[in-house]
Amino acid sequence: MKNARNLGIKITAAALSVGVLAGCGASSSSTATSTSGGAESTGSNGDVTTIEVWSNNRHDEAYMTEVIEKFNAENSDVQIKYTIMTDDYWNSIQLAYQANTAPDIAAIAASDGIVLNDYVNGGMFESLTPFINEDAEYQKVNETADHMYEGLNSIGEDIYWVASGVRSGSRIQYNVEMLKNAGYETFPTTFSDMVAAAQAVTDPSSNVYGIATTSSAPFVRWLEGIGEMSGAAHMGYDYTTGTYDFSSWKPVIEEAAKLFTNGSVLPGSETQGVDNGRALFAQGAFAIWGNASQEAGVFTEQFPVSFDWGVAELPTMDGEVKGALSCTPNYGYTMLTSCEDKEAAWKVISYLQGEEVLKGYFEGGYSLPMSSYMADLYDSSKVGRLADFALTDYEDVYPSTPAVTIEGDDYQVTLWNAVMGNVSVDDAIADLNERYNAALERGLANGSCTRVVIADFDPMNPSAGTAEYLTE
Amino acid sequence: MSKPKAKEKFSFKKSLANGDVTAMVMLIPAVLMLAVVSIYPFLWMFRYLMYDYNGMTSYFSGTYNFTRMLEDKIFWESVGHTFEYAALKLVFIIPLSLIMAELMVQKIKGSGIFRVIYFMPTIISTAISALVFSFIFAAYNGVLNAVLRATGIIDQNVNWLGDKNVAMWAVIIVAIWGGFGNYMIYFMSGLSGISKDVYESAMVDGASGLTTFFRITLPMLSPMLKVILMLAITGAFKDYESIMVLTQGGPDDRTQVMFLYIYQLIFGTATTTPQIGYACVLSLVAALIVGIVTAVYLLIAKKLDDVV
Repeated sequence: MKNARNLGIKITAAALSVGVLAGCGASSSSTATSTSGGAESTGSNGDVTTIEVWSNNRHDEAYMTEVIEKFNAENSDVQIKYTIMTDDYWNSIQLAYQANTAPDIAAIAASDGIVLNDYVNGGMFESLTPFINEDAEYQKVNETADHMYEGLNSIGEDIYWVASGVRSGSRIQYNVEMLKNAGYETFPTTFSDMVAAAQAVTDPSSNVYGIATTSSAPFVRWLEGIGEMSGAAHMGYDYTTGTYDFSSWKPVIEEAAKLFTNGSVLPGSETQGVDNGRALFAQGAFAIWGNASQEAGVFTEQFPVSFDWGVAELPTMDGEVKGALSCTPNYGYTMLTSCEDKEAAWKVISYLQGEEVLKGYFEGGYSLPMSSYMADLYDSSKVGRLADFALTDYEDVYPSTPAVTIEGDDYQVTLWNAVMGNVSVDDAIADLNERYNAALERGLANGSCTRVVIADFDPMNPSAGTAEYLTE
Repeated sequence: MSKPKAKEKFSFKKSLANGDVTAMVMLIPAVLMLAVVSIYPFLWMFRYLMYDYNGMTSYFSGTYNFTRMLEDKIFWESVGHTFEYAALKLVFIIPLSLIMAELMVQKIKGSGIFRVIYFMPTIISTAISALVFSFIFAAYNGVLNAVLRATGIIDQNVNWLGDKNVAMWAVIIVAIWGGFGNYMIYFMSGLSGISKDVYESAMVDGASGLTTFFRITLPMLSPMLKVILMLAITGAFKDYESIMVLTQGGPDDRTQVMFLYIYQLIFGTATTTPQIGYACVLSLVAALIVGIVTAVYLLIAKKLDDVV
């Protein structure tokens, strides 16, 4: 009996060990399979290449599924495998790349916030320039030469992704009736009037407030845009000197702080997620909300608004626009260097950013067109309230600022703390100037960033200047 | 003088017969797992202590990460907040779970249902429960403010998550709610190990309920209490998930704790790149702090054992 038990234990132990070893083997064998990248060749009547595309866009899933099914039905030699992954998207791609299981193509947008230089230096991104040069149709539809943004989608002559779409800069969404009742027939064009309007609407006894914020990146929702349009330095960076100087933000922050001191802000909204704010706006709990073009879909589908809501351009300090409002290029695709069949991958990119797919995409209201070619071609009457967010003349893409590694909170958090009264505006600005410039010097010393200087920088047309990249 | 015993020669056959080889083979899976998911990541961390590493590229930064750590006001404040959070959590959660365990073992009618209800927070995702609490704590239309106003306890809504004076209490309430059921089960397991005879003898001697609790239950529970306290201390020092959902460390870093700060450094923000090298240094310091606290606790527990 004892021997039988011992034998049983030995067999179990052996089985476990074999299982573990087999598991290790299986793992390395699957890694080896993925070394071929996502491109797999199968089939008996000629090879079929499968191109794996990853995306972090969930909002356009129905449309993308449709266009990919169409591509797969029409192409016998190349098939698309499309995967949506919204959480930790770029971390997942990095890990997959290191494990040789990366997709061939990844959807990319400026809002992803990745530092292009790191991915290019890390050998992950393939230059698309040779493919673009050979594809006149792609150039025509996407106007690639006009939309090269150094450090954002290109480095030197090499283009790593092209944005077909763009998310507008921020706009104000407001409850027309509430503002009218407070004496405002149209939305104010100066920031001080906006603050006064928010106060005029506020009536705590009726549980109605002028404006709400959110815990999720509150600074970028509307305040950053007001600052940029008022002439404050984009991300605190002075492109002409190549240094950080946040002092131009002082009047903007001081004015914004009045919203909190005069009690116009919906209590506790600064601790709630962005969807809570949207839901409360739709309920009529407050009058003024600020966000970019995604709100068109939000207030018509996600949280349908039953009252008359208007969309206004952001106000400025004195009513004059003195700087460009930054907009966010989106709907682009980058090719990973691990892709085995790059011609097939380019065929997929060319299709996804081709005239037919883009027309449907923009008419579906998923984004605004980046190129004037597509802007002229698509039927804007089909996009509903997105038309209210159409790009203005003063919207542009700013050149990338140096990718500095700062100590402590970033400028958005620090300036928002000043708005909330947690720190004085002067202290916040002095602190930011010191930390950002110190980080820039450190980055230059260890080679992790360069100083961008644009001698002919025009704040109304920031992408037009000639950038110099200095290593000291 | 006896002759020293000759060293026994290793015999594979004998080891096999003794079960040594079998035991070793059976240990392989666990050792491999430990090496892959615990030891390797820990050693990996040391690689980047002197680098500015953003997940893609690393730049040598010498001793900068260490000097920065010494001067990092947010980090040292987060250490203070971690101690404050852990102390307040433990002060409430341990007595509460012990009292609830004592009540649950009384076999009162319906106690089974309450046991399930109290334990339920342990099996609910921390992120989900924290999200639900963020609605409960909402200053404008939250349930908590509505109840407190209806009962006349407050006359103005409290900004639970946005006011620096109360935000820490809000995250501690969530921590107590989420953890006490788990410790209650541990205590119930300890209480069930105390012999009924001892209680019967105490009753015969005329001991009151309180006397029985302090003179019999607590001393006999002390081995289990030691383990529970150690788990509770290390757990409280490592908590950050619910805080991340509720306040993201705010307002103005008032609820910033060590591991949340490290998490934020590793993953970066919309405008800052990941700072993995510096986060590695802070992880090491945080591990040392938790290790020292645990060691001090074990030392105190041992001294108390000697006294008792």
